[in-house]
Amino acid sequence: MTTFFSDWYYLSIRNIKQIWRPLLALIPSLFIPLFFFIVNSSSLQAFANLKDFPKDISYRDFIAPVAIFTAIFFSSGNAGIEMVQDIANGYLKKLLIMPIHRLAIVLGRLTEVAVLALFQGMVVLIPLLLIGVHIKTGFLGIVAMFTILILFAMAWSCIGMITALRTQNARLVQSLFILVFPFLNLTTAAAPKNLLPDWFRIVATINPVTSIIEGVRALVLYGWDSPAIIQGFLTALVLFVIMVSFTLISFRKALK
Amino acid sequence: MSQENQIIQVRNLAKTYPGGTEAVRGVSFDVREGEFFGFLGPNGAGKSTTINMMVNLVKKTSGTIKIDGFDLDSHASEIYSRIGFAMQEIGLDETATAREMLELHGRLYHMPKAKIQDQIAKLLKLVELEKVADRYASTYSGGMRRRFDLALSLIHEPRILFLDEPTQGLDPHARQLIWNHLRELNKAGMTVFLTTHFMDEAETLCERIAIMDKGQIVTMGTPAELLEKHEAKNLEEIFLKTTGSNLADEEVNLNAPDPYARRRG
Repeated sequence: MTTFFSDWYYLSIRNIKQIWRPLLALIPSLFIPLFFFIVNSSSLQAFANLKDFPKDISYRDFIAPVAIFTAIFFSSGNAGIEMVQDIANGYLKKLLIMPIHRLAIVLGRLTEVAVLALFQGMVVLIPLLLIGVHIKTGFLGIVAMFTILILFAMAWSCIGMITALRTQNARLVQSLFILVFPFLNLTTAAAPKNLLPDWFRIVATINPVTSIIEGVRALVLYGWDSPAIIQGFLTALVLFVIMVSFTLISFRKALK
Repeated sequence: MSQENQIIQVRNLAKTYPGGTEAVRGVSFDVREGEFFGFLGPNGAGKSTTINMMVNLVKKTSGTIKIDGFDLDSHASEIYSRIGFAMQEIGLDETATAREMLELHGRLYHMPKAKIQDQIAKLLKLVELEKVADRYASTYSGGMRRRFDLALSLIHEPRILFLDEPTQGLDPHARQLIWNHLRELNKAGMTVFLTTHFMDEAETLCERIAIMDKGQIVTMGTPAELLEKHEAKNLEEIFLKTTGSNLADEEVNLNAPDPYARRRG
């Protein structure tokens, strides 16, 4: 068991080092969420004047949680890309013939995703706090917010890892990035459910990303008594368990 | 050959890929401890599939593999700590330096910290990469990558070193350098299992040779035994006699599984 944790630790350190090499690769995923936050909060602020918009909430604060979520969403595809690179250049095979726990290889990647999500989320959260976005649930709310977001980031990163393991095709793994757009836009990211047209509202309700955004939004805007928090947490947890299970199955099957 | 000093025992090893391609068809052989054993054959003969089954990277269809007394099916982990493998495809982490990678591998083999540092110094000297040890692997030339890959496979002082076409794509100087390293390692007692399709490489390095063709071993013995048995002047002549290899076979890997087979129907 001790060796399992040490394998996990050293593989995580190796993967975390990859995040910063090259550092420039991180900039777009940090810049874009802030860019959309600035553009949307100024261009769509009239939404807040609509009769059915939540009372006493500015549009800037309404979409602030989406900016944090988007930063994490954008970067959680990296794990699949790094996995397919390890497969393509043969490095994963080197790991597979070492006396290490194979689960540690997957957990090492997920740890990297968690660290990156925390970093990306904090880099976006800090400017939001500086411009006056208030987190109603305080410091513990931030901890809860990152718990939901990191669980979701790890679950989402599994899509890339499963595709990498099943297809070993770098182009396909990279192209998965486009999935972010329908999953992000067909939600309540830009407007509350009651302002959405019927068809959109149905799609947004089915889309699990809505629960994540609503959970994070509740922590920022509404306080601990909102049921959206527990719903967001449970959605992230269930997605995490399902997706990690599928990744482990793919890992066992793919390289034989 | 006595049972005790056989460090590798392979019996009736076979591999049939999904789709029906029989890459390896019932291969059996032994390798003695400390031996430099060569596995020759044209491209597509099944050499890489065999070596990959021996290190558990490809699942065998049937047969048994014992390494250092351990059965691969039940004691893979014990075997992993005893073997090193320099693959045909050089598996390096491009975003790490040689020193970082050697250190990581030492950690993953659960070696003590001081031992890892000793090994890093020794191996970097052996493969003449001391000066570039702190540069990213992505900046290395082909020869440097091969040498570094060899160092990486030796970090835990394996008892058996598997090499799959270790000098493919190298210039004569780099090949000579690798050969010298391999001779030194073998002289120090390491068992070396080498697959190659370079006759001069096998002739220069190997104490015993098996030639494989179409998934089967077609002949096996010391170079002298093979020359006598096949009444040949050199290994190349034996190779051509036993495999009937021609250029067309060399160019197209006929036994390799076809990833597009399903698409073509």
